[in-house]
Amino acid sequence: MKRTGMNRRDFLKMSAECAAYTAATVALTGVFKGAEAAEQGPDLVVSNGNPGPATRAAVEAMGGIGRYVRPKDKVVIKPNMSFPNPPEWGTTTHPDVVRELTALCLKAGASSVLVLDNPLRNSEMCLERSGLRKACANLPETQVQGLTDRRFFQEVKIPQGKALTSTMVMKKVLEADVLIAVPVAKSHSATGVSLTMKGMMGLVYDRRTFHMDLDLDVAVVDLCTVLKPTLTIIDASRILSEGGPGGPGKVVHMNKIIASTDFVAADAMAVEMGTWYGRKFKGHQVKQIQMAHARGLGRIDIASLSVKEVHG
Amino acid sequence: MIRFQRFLQISLFALFVFLLWLAAHPLPGWPEVDLFLRLDPLISLGSMAAARAFIPRVAWAFIIVGLALFLGRVFCGYLCPLGATIDFADWVLAKKKPGENGFEGGRRYRLLKYFFLAGLAGSALAGLSWVFLFSPVSLATRFYSLVIYPLVLLVSNIFLDVFRPVFPYLGLDHLALVHLNVPHYNTNLFVFLFFSAVLALGMIRPRFWCRNLCPAGAVLAVFSMRPLFRRVVSDRCTQCGKCVRACPMGAISGDIETTAHSECITCLKCEEVCPEKAVSFKVTRKVPVLAKEVDFGRRKILGAGAAGMAVAAVTMTNLYHLHGKESPRSLRSSRLIRPPGSLPEPEFQDRCVRCGECVKTCLTNTLQPVWFEAGLAGLWTPKVTARLAGCEQACAACGQVCPTGAIRPLSLDEKLFAKIGTARIEKSRCIAWEQDKKCLICDEICPYNAISSQFVSDHPVTVPVIDENKCNGCGYCENKCPVEGESAILVEPLGEVRLAKGSYRENARELGLVFHAKTEVRDDFILESAKGKRGQVKPAEKPLPPGFVVDP
Repeated sequence: MKRTGMNRRDFLKMSAECAAYTAATVALTGVFKGAEAAEQGPDLVVSNGNPGPATRAAVEAMGGIGRYVRPKDKVVIKPNMSFPNPPEWGTTTHPDVVRELTALCLKAGASSVLVLDNPLRNSEMCLERSGLRKACANLPETQVQGLTDRRFFQEVKIPQGKALTSTMVMKKVLEADVLIAVPVAKSHSATGVSLTMKGMMGLVYDRRTFHMDLDLDVAVVDLCTVLKPTLTIIDASRILSEGGPGGPGKVVHMNKIIASTDFVAADAMAVEMGTWYGRKFKGHQVKQIQMAHARGLGRIDIASLSVKEVHG
Repeated sequence: MIRFQRFLQISLFALFVFLLWLAAHPLPGWPEVDLFLRLDPLISLGSMAAARAFIPRVAWAFIIVGLALFLGRVFCGYLCPLGATIDFADWVLAKKKPGENGFEGGRRYRLLKYFFLAGLAGSALAGLSWVFLFSPVSLATRFYSLVIYPLVLLVSNIFLDVFRPVFPYLGLDHLALVHLNVPHYNTNLFVFLFFSAVLALGMIRPRFWCRNLCPAGAVLAVFSMRPLFRRVVSDRCTQCGKCVRACPMGAISGDIETTAHSECITCLKCEEVCPEKAVSFKVTRKVPVLAKEVDFGRRKILGAGAAGMAVAAVTMTNLYHLHGKESPRSLRSSRLIRPPGSLPEPEFQDRCVRCGECVKTCLTNTLQPVWFEAGLAGLWTPKVTARLAGCEQACAACGQVCPTGAIRPLSLDEKLFAKIGTARIEKSRCIAWEQDKKCLICDEICPYNAISSQFVSDHPVTVPVIDENKCNGCGYCENKCPVEGESAILVEPLGEVRLAKGSYRENARELGLVFHAKTEVRDDFILESAKGKRGQVKPAEKPLPPGFVVDP
């Protein structure tokens, strides 16, 4: 008889593993590991410098990557890579930020790092021209993917949703232990700005209903009641001050990276630090940040939070 | 052992498939993916005749025609992808006991191809090209692009789906998130049936198409009546007739010794099957030739040419014919958007051989072959189907692969200025304009910054407004519009720029078109041009930018 690579016992074992894996997916829905409690850590970190080093310094100031990523963890990083534009346009997350962060996760022992988005434009083009695929090309256990096909998404209930009660989210995100949001700070023609919360829409299959049937701001906040990133790193190395989300528009160089475990605080910080359409705004002037705060998802009052400033 | 000809034929067919596979964005600098199309004598002569121009890119076929003088119809036996496919189909469909196969048997039908050629020539003289219906390489390219390619991807996806659960166990994690985009093509079933009919003719006689119908074969036949390299029968021949029965072209006379060289594709089958090794191919002139090998009669040929001319004339007087100078432009479909760089419509239709190469190459699948949207003679010409997908600004592959230059090969920079149409908002369907919904997807997606969200009186939310001078017609807005069914923003040919020669960039400058917004970062987001011009922009003193609320 021919010897095959697998006997019946192996096959059954594997089937059972597959089944367990599937069951776990459902059970894990919408829940990521929180950060390990740190003593007296800052609520917010503002890191100065070039994108790569500033990112490393920001994570360090947030207590180090080990606080968020434990050995064998499956990590999903959510940058913005929705547009086939070069980094200078400020429409997509800077490749150095994503590469640095991915490298840190791997150093912390992550079993896999998936850099995922559901790009608005042609997926291949976005990955290529945003520079994100190339940035992570040589890192082990890392994949940069633009997922657009329905088969990679799964229905998720949103129990606290006021407008959005269920939506389809990437399976790989639901299977992940850690979700790190790495939005680029940019203006948005419908929601004022596009930061962490708006960026979560990139993990959703069909965003049409957000625009068509629902109040966009309410729906975004609803989504963030289930997709709460473990850690938020906002790429404000440069901000697209006008002309967002697709650009081209006015790009303002800031050389800053914002980090927090509180995505509402991080978003509010980005709004207040930046200049939008030539003007300054408060966090509560952006409806979705205001609403997220009111619904207890995070704190908007950054003046009363501990902010640590570092240099990378 | 496999025959030399078969080996070369299969290798070259594999090259054809490989080049077709390579025809995708980003295109390789080398090899030229449309190589086989360039070698088709019918595409070459037909397009040049109809377009009344020398087209260097397809002049390569002259080499093939020249080669016929020395080697006969080797194109048919070695290079032609349709020939290779027909050989394969014949092998599958072959009758157990073929009937009479001598050259004299079906002699009358062989003349058909010359009549078709004359008809095509007549039509081309009248200014209309029907080459696309008959060109063998166009037929094959269209079939493998529009019918086979999506099927291959579809089947690959099924395999991926079936094995996806076990990839992690096989160390194939990188395949776990792979899903191939299967393109969808208009008219593909018709292309399939048309091609199947050509193959099915093989049930009557092997290579029925090549013997009797193919006008490209006819061109080569005319040049290969007396080639240098010929079939020679030695006196070892026992008149067994095996070669006559085996010849796929039925090119051997009933007397076995004589060959109709105009039909011989030098496939060497006769040499292979001869039990006495009496048949060989040599450079020689000392062999008997057939008297009146091709005897179609001048009158019949002229008649066929006239018939072709008549078909052209009737087609050109059809109401929906877009081709001529006096075309009823008002009857042009407002959904007929041509690929960027397409020549002006008459020249475009003259040159387009409907091979489907651009359609296959299209990065976003927006290019589709049409039915009769461009008139009867416009069958299978490509159009941008914006609702399906937009035309990607960083891709200009369609023009790069067009063998006849119906779509000009533009650099990315030039392509940027090749405006293919203009978007128009159907306000009664737009949910921002009509239902006060906060929808700005068209603004968000527009790669040329031609759409802006503006406060307009009587509208509580910002509504999309188009600056037509910035609109390139790419169709991303139409594609992404969330309205069910027909989009609320439509790209129409209005304002399309189609230059037979010269720079699109220069032309755009003259017309005042502003596409440079996308090549550099600019801060002209709020449209100056729309302000005041329409008289409907709210005169409020410095309104908040979209999305922000007042600081209480």
